[in-house]
Amino acid sequence: MSLSSVRVKKRVLVAMSGGVDSSVAAALLVDQGYEVIGATMQVWDYSQCDIDEGNGTCCSSLDVDDARAVADKIKIPFYVINCESKFKEKVIDPFVADYLKGQTPLPCVNCNTYLKFDHLIHKMRELDCDYLATGHYAQIETENEKSFIATSEDDWKDQTYFLFTTHSEIIPKLLFPIGHLKKPEVRRIAEEKGLVVAKKKDSTGICFVGNQGYGNFIESHVGSQVVAAQRGYFRRYPGGEVMGEHKGIHHYTYGQSRGFGLDHHEKMFVVKVDAQSRTVWLGDEVHLFGHDLQLRDMRLMDQLDENQVYTVKIRYQHKGAPAKIQKQGDGFKVSFLEKQRAITPGQAAVIYKDKKLVGGGWIVV
Amino acid sequence: MVSKTPMITTLDGVYLDHNATTPVDTSLYEFIPNWLSQFGNPSSIHQASRGPRTLIREARHHIAETLGVSPLEIVFNSGASEGNNSIIKSVWDRKGVERNEFICSSVEHPSVMKAMQAIQKKGAVIHWIPVNRDGELDMAFVQRVLSHKTALISVMSANNETGTLFPVAQLVPLARAAGALIHSDCVQVFGKQALNLKELGVDYATFSGHKFYALKGSGFMYLKKTAPFVSLIDGGAQERFRRGGTENTLGVAAMGHIVQKMKSINLTGVWADIQSHRDFFETEVRTHIPGVHVTAQKSPRLGNTSHVMIQGIDAETLLINLDLDGFFVSTGAACSSGNPEPSPVLLSMGFSRQEAQTSLRISLGWNSKRSDMERFVERLKDIVARLRQMKKEWDDVAL
Repeated sequence: MSLSSVRVKKRVLVAMSGGVDSSVAAALLVDQGYEVIGATMQVWDYSQCDIDEGNGTCCSSLDVDDARAVADKIKIPFYVINCESKFKEKVIDPFVADYLKGQTPLPCVNCNTYLKFDHLIHKMRELDCDYLATGHYAQIETENEKSFIATSEDDWKDQTYFLFTTHSEIIPKLLFPIGHLKKPEVRRIAEEKGLVVAKKKDSTGICFVGNQGYGNFIESHVGSQVVAAQRGYFRRYPGGEVMGEHKGIHHYTYGQSRGFGLDHHEKMFVVKVDAQSRTVWLGDEVHLFGHDLQLRDMRLMDQLDENQVYTVKIRYQHKGAPAKIQKQGDGFKVSFLEKQRAITPGQAAVIYKDKKLVGGGWIVV
Repeated sequence: MVSKTPMITTLDGVYLDHNATTPVDTSLYEFIPNWLSQFGNPSSIHQASRGPRTLIREARHHIAETLGVSPLEIVFNSGASEGNNSIIKSVWDRKGVERNEFICSSVEHPSVMKAMQAIQKKGAVIHWIPVNRDGELDMAFVQRVLSHKTALISVMSANNETGTLFPVAQLVPLARAAGALIHSDCVQVFGKQALNLKELGVDYATFSGHKFYALKGSGFMYLKKTAPFVSLIDGGAQERFRRGGTENTLGVAAMGHIVQKMKSINLTGVWADIQSHRDFFETEVRTHIPGVHVTAQKSPRLGNTSHVMIQGIDAETLLINLDLDGFFVSTGAACSSGNPEPSPVLLSMGFSRQEAQTSLRISLGWNSKRSDMERFVERLKDIVARLRQMKKEWDDVAL
């Protein structure tokens, strides 16, 4: 970049994880004529890791190298932005605390809320950029001159579920350059452009947990005393008979049907986790189904109409089901037209009107 | 496969990071192609060894002469990180049984700090000399801990981050009186001020070629004839068994060439100019940007280095903004870029993490010009004002 150059292009900060999606997002922005600046959020102290640790997750140190290699290839400046303390405070600590409360947390939403769409929005402004771009499978559309988030063209990869906390006022500042594409097309572009990440496998699971599993991650995070205090009994739902001891409530999630270590031949499911008594309730699948759920900390990007039937997703892989939504006390109540399986506290319920993301909240019970 | 379209292009901007590394002096562009044909192994018997051996011999001679020492006392290696490791571990190896205590400043380069920590695990006792907020060494501490148990004092001649000069000359007689050895990492002073190692009287000194306009991956150690030493790298008879491995002919020849060149130019005049540009920068920022602290301003410092802390400004953000505008500076030590921890040097000096995270280092070199500094100051003023305005707006919203 020359000192004398006058800014004619719009400047974009693109969050690059080192995966194929954000790499292609960055490359497409260059093609579209933006002045593109790549950034990776460093969320973990990799200096303490073994060389192969963290590989295959979305934010390992090797991924930072990949992001840098892509940036060099497409000839854009690239920086690593340190977010370790914020990531620990806003993502990891609440994740651990939720598990210890018998919930199944969704750390990707907190990462979007507090890091990508807060910390990076600040960085975007501080670096005098016009937009912030990410490799999310989501789209920005406009209606009556108002921008909103809409689902991706790729139903399978759609990531709007993780975006329900986005503040309306920042939506006009966002770009999702691959939201109109399907994954195979994204890979094809990566290959065509010779990006090293073209064939890299998709990240799955929680980036900071890696291969060790949630239980072990939490145990290494809080220490053996806290973990020991999480132990309790499996009880049969609804009768309450004790079926055995379990190794800590943080090892179990709603709908889980394996890993109990019980000598029991009948197929059973976790239907409830009671943090106070540290009881894990096991029962028939039928007890997993429910009509209603309560939401806390609802975020809305649009007016809510209590008479309208919306589509509500209760976990990332959920197809979405029709429901009505009403204000109830401090929170909201979601009533599905048909019973839904494994409504899990700690996960989010995300509300759509057709393709439009309307908002969402955290499932309480 | 070699990339057909390398991204690397000539830098278009103002380079103000000479303490991290210097540009390769353009006079080398002319010589290196000739040296490339001197491919022979300097240890061979046949004629192909003569050219490279001559280049190395001459370089050793020039360097030794400049430093006032014998050519035999110069050992070529890959740079000061290797040199620092070699010396500290050697002294532990050869002296550790009778003397197991080491004294070292708390603001040394990581290659000294880590080597000290490595021998600490093997039983050495390390006394870290404290520094104050002006970067001055606590000499009383040295006198207190120095004893017949002390094997080595290791203190850098100048600090890479703040530019502070350390009184190595005063430490030498102290070490001598206690029968201890003394080493100085001279990376940052070499080529910036006159250095006569014989007069200074140290037992060991370390240097890196890429800090004085030669090539990366080349450096040398000064090992006084009487100083105990064991090679870190066992191998052939190169460097009289003090450093195994076939010599880096190009790197060595380049260092010799630059050292010769330095004799032919008026270095005092060059550095006086550089210091005047540095002082201009400091006066300007202190006049025009409120809340600027110049680190160790009252202490003896290298004339090319300015370390400032700009209140309320996140240095990482500032550095990226400057980079995007074509000004290449640093937040501190180059080795720790990407490392979220604030500079250990600043923490050792007693600054808070918050203060340390607002720090910016500029380091000038032979090619730095007054006009560059003028443009840099202008840009810095604008960016700081914009970031502060933005922060104020956010703080107002938060309230």
